[in-house]
Amino acid sequence: MSWSFPKLIPRSAPVILLVLTLAAATGFAAVSHLVARYNANQQSRGRKLYQQGLADAAANRYDNAIDVFRAALTCDPTNSEYQLSLARALRDSNDPRRLDEAESYLIALWQRAPQDAAVNLALARVAAHRGSIEDATRYYHNAMYGVWNSDPDANRSKARIELIQFLLKQGAPDKARSELIALAIALPPDSTAHLQAAQLFAQAQDYSGELAQYEEVLRLDPSNSAALAGAGQAAYNSANYAIAHGYLQAAVNTNPQDADSRQLLATTELILRNDPFVGHISDADRNRRIAAAFAQAEKRLDDCAQEKGIDIKAAATPAASPLIALQSLWTDAKPDLTRLRSPAETDLPDAIMDAVFQIEQQTAVTCGQPMGLDLALLLISQEREEANR
Amino acid sequence: MRDFSSTSESPLPSAQPPLSRFQAPRRLFSTLEGVFNEEVFFLILSVFIGIFSGLAVVCFRLAIDWTHLALLGPLPETHSWRLFAVPALAGLVVAALVIHVFPTIRGSGVNQTKAALFIFNGFIPFRTAIGKFICSGIAIGSGQSLGPEDPSLQIGAAIASALGRQLEISREKLRLMAPVGAAAGLAAAFNAPISAVLFVIEEVIGRWSAGILGSVVLSAVSSVVIVRWFLGSEPLFRIPVTTFKRPSELLAYAVLGIVGGLASVGFAKSIGYLRPRMKALPRWTQYFQPAVAGLLIGLIAFLGAPQIMGAGYDSMDQAMHGQYAWKMLAILAVLKIVATTLSFVSGAPGGMFAPTLFVGAMLGGAVGDIERFYFPHLTGSTGTYVLVGMGVLFAGFLRAPMTSVFMVLEVSGNYEIIVPVIVANTFSYLISRSLQDVPIFDLLTRQDGLILPSLEEDRDEAILRVEDAMLPAPNTILSAEEYVDANARRVQDSTEANFLVRMHPSGWNIVSREQLQRLFLEGKGEHTLGSLLSPQSLPSLYPDLPLDSALRFVNDYPLIPVVNRANSRKLEGVVSRDSVFKRYETDRTPVGG
Repeated sequence: MSWSFPKLIPRSAPVILLVLTLAAATGFAAVSHLVARYNANQQSRGRKLYQQGLADAAANRYDNAIDVFRAALTCDPTNSEYQLSLARALRDSNDPRRLDEAESYLIALWQRAPQDAAVNLALARVAAHRGSIEDATRYYHNAMYGVWNSDPDANRSKARIELIQFLLKQGAPDKARSELIALAIALPPDSTAHLQAAQLFAQAQDYSGELAQYEEVLRLDPSNSAALAGAGQAAYNSANYAIAHGYLQAAVNTNPQDADSRQLLATTELILRNDPFVGHISDADRNRRIAAAFAQAEKRLDDCAQEKGIDIKAAATPAASPLIALQSLWTDAKPDLTRLRSPAETDLPDAIMDAVFQIEQQTAVTCGQPMGLDLALLLISQEREEANR
Repeated sequence: MRDFSSTSESPLPSAQPPLSRFQAPRRLFSTLEGVFNEEVFFLILSVFIGIFSGLAVVCFRLAIDWTHLALLGPLPETHSWRLFAVPALAGLVVAALVIHVFPTIRGSGVNQTKAALFIFNGFIPFRTAIGKFICSGIAIGSGQSLGPEDPSLQIGAAIASALGRQLEISREKLRLMAPVGAAAGLAAAFNAPISAVLFVIEEVIGRWSAGILGSVVLSAVSSVVIVRWFLGSEPLFRIPVTTFKRPSELLAYAVLGIVGGLASVGFAKSIGYLRPRMKALPRWTQYFQPAVAGLLIGLIAFLGAPQIMGAGYDSMDQAMHGQYAWKMLAILAVLKIVATTLSFVSGAPGGMFAPTLFVGAMLGGAVGDIERFYFPHLTGSTGTYVLVGMGVLFAGFLRAPMTSVFMVLEVSGNYEIIVPVIVANTFSYLISRSLQDVPIFDLLTRQDGLILPSLEEDRDEAILRVEDAMLPAPNTILSAEEYVDANARRVQDSTEANFLVRMHPSGWNIVSREQLQRLFLEGKGEHTLGSLLSPQSLPSLYPDLPLDSALRFVNDYPLIPVVNRANSRKLEGVVSRDSVFKRYETDRTPVGG
């Protein structure tokens, strides 16, 4: 059997080319129609698969989601939404081998739309998975300054918070603090947002920033107990004990069940009552506080030595234990106590309190964190050291 | 076919009378006809071949996708009965169609296109295009381990051949239609025009021929434009970041080339061994061979390797992005060789391009991962090794070294890896050549009882040149500017019968001793020799020309001067009929290698 077409084409070059052009145009139109129908079917199928993939991803069934997103992409290979979702599923599947593929999809998307915030955010998260601070910061910044399809302010804020959390996790608090400052400036007047920012400042050990955020919350909601407690703790951590006392007192008054604030309040009161270096007290009061601190230091040293089973009074050499050296220090400083009232001895308060601080710091190392007045003295010593620095 | 050139000698008169209502279009027509000599027409026709082939390949790809979706579903399902039921049942349908309706569509289509060019004067039945379209669509869509590129090549060639026959173009041009269509089909399938052009030249035409190159390029480019118009310009794979930093890393790619060469030989030998044996089985078994192949492939997929079904581009893409561990990559490479061998030897119509790339990709990824495990300082990514691996198998298995290099470059769009690709491909090609004498396509052709020329054999064959048959320049060379009696005196002591004459200002002529003596006796001694000789110059040759070019002249002239290309008056030597034939006799080799 042999198939052949009837010879319909006239034998003239222009006519032949005209016929060929018409045939090509007809073929083109027919294939266009076919491809359009095929694409419509494929897009419909792809959309269904995409929805299924989203459901799988939402349920953390990432392997299924990846298969389904891949199938969706075979139906509509250039769909950015599918590519982005597949990349996210690949990234979130916790398989390091899949990060490369996720990144490849995202880079392709990024090359097409470098301003797309969602793509940049996804790339930032891939970089964060890899632990690359530089890349992650760059993509997070791109996301913050990129184009969001909806709710840009909130999304930008979320992206920055995510970057801060990443930087804190990576042990880069300095970089986190600079991002926190930018975050704080752009925060809306919303208690929840300021509370979250305050917690981030706390994680970055920027207590003054933390305090400022709690104060913002209190400006919006003066009776917010969490903010009162937080502000008190922030002030306490930043050694602003007078301010801390006010907030902690208010926190305890607002929420009497708040045991943490109550305990901090007690310590704060002890500090305020026993700190010999505060400016507004008389010399007599200062000397009294020094004497009390000195006596407390001896007690703390004795208790610690007893706890460790060391007889510090009978021991022969200081090398046997640091506690013995401290006992020696305390004994050496004791005669100075009587000379405190002399106006000529201006260095004595510092010298005596240095001995007290050494004893409190060393015993904290040897016998653990103290309580009550010892804790207050330890905190005063730390504040003092900080001030000297 | 009308003689297009005959109308070219009818220019419009300078002073034209007023045209009647019907004369104007007729004049225009006449002018247009004058423009189209056959060469120009053939070039324009090449563009149309590209367009029609592109349209056909778009439909072919849709047909494969549609068949796959309809038969196997959109999602990869492991452990589903469909995995082995579908290819087996589709295999029965394909076998019945191939045996009863389309008997000429077995195999990949590359050989058939080549046979059309060299044996059948460019004739490929249009039924072949239809049969290839339907049967390959079913076979590949149902999961046979075959690719769509070679069938696309044959569909393009068949469309071109049918068009050429319809237009009744000259036999010479009709013969060239098949490769022009083949390039269009392959370029459309691969979305890579340069590789398609090179492949058609390397594997179909078998020699570099400038006469057809323009048409092949035009058809390839126009078909790619059509495919990109409809299916987009997305590459077959998402190309990962590829790197090549240190030249010392070439050793790692050389190892990949060696492994790839060995794998290519294994692949080619398994097909070469099994294919004739399967064909030799009783005829009734041919109804079941594709079904059995499909069943076995489905079984492999069912047991956990569904990636080997079909062309496998998605899996190559994933391999390129490091989705498989090296063990999985190695297993997939081996299983794909098995699956493709089964599909191909069963007679299921489909191509070997995609499977070759698949095997290369998996092998490249596996070798790369192993190398990087033992030598962590290697900077090449898995994607780089996968890409290079593709070229390696292409060079080793299909034995198309130039195509293999350009294919990788064209697919990746990255020229940074050209050196690793060339190094690895060279190793693979050399190993394959040393362990397997006959390239796979030539092997298949010979198994079918045909002997077709191949570029590889041409490359191996030492070409005889004029200098190989050249005799030393004669001692006596006459001058056209000297008188006859002076020239006659010069030849008195010579024993030669014929003498070359250096003409003025250029060219050569020849005179015999008898002629010279006759001129002298006729009293023309005081005439210059040049004034008495025929003005038609003696043809001259250059030493580097093929010796074949001397054959046209050796019967007409006793001596032919061989002159220097820079100075045609400087004689390098001469050739005679005896010297040419003697050279051929000492270099005689059997036809067909």
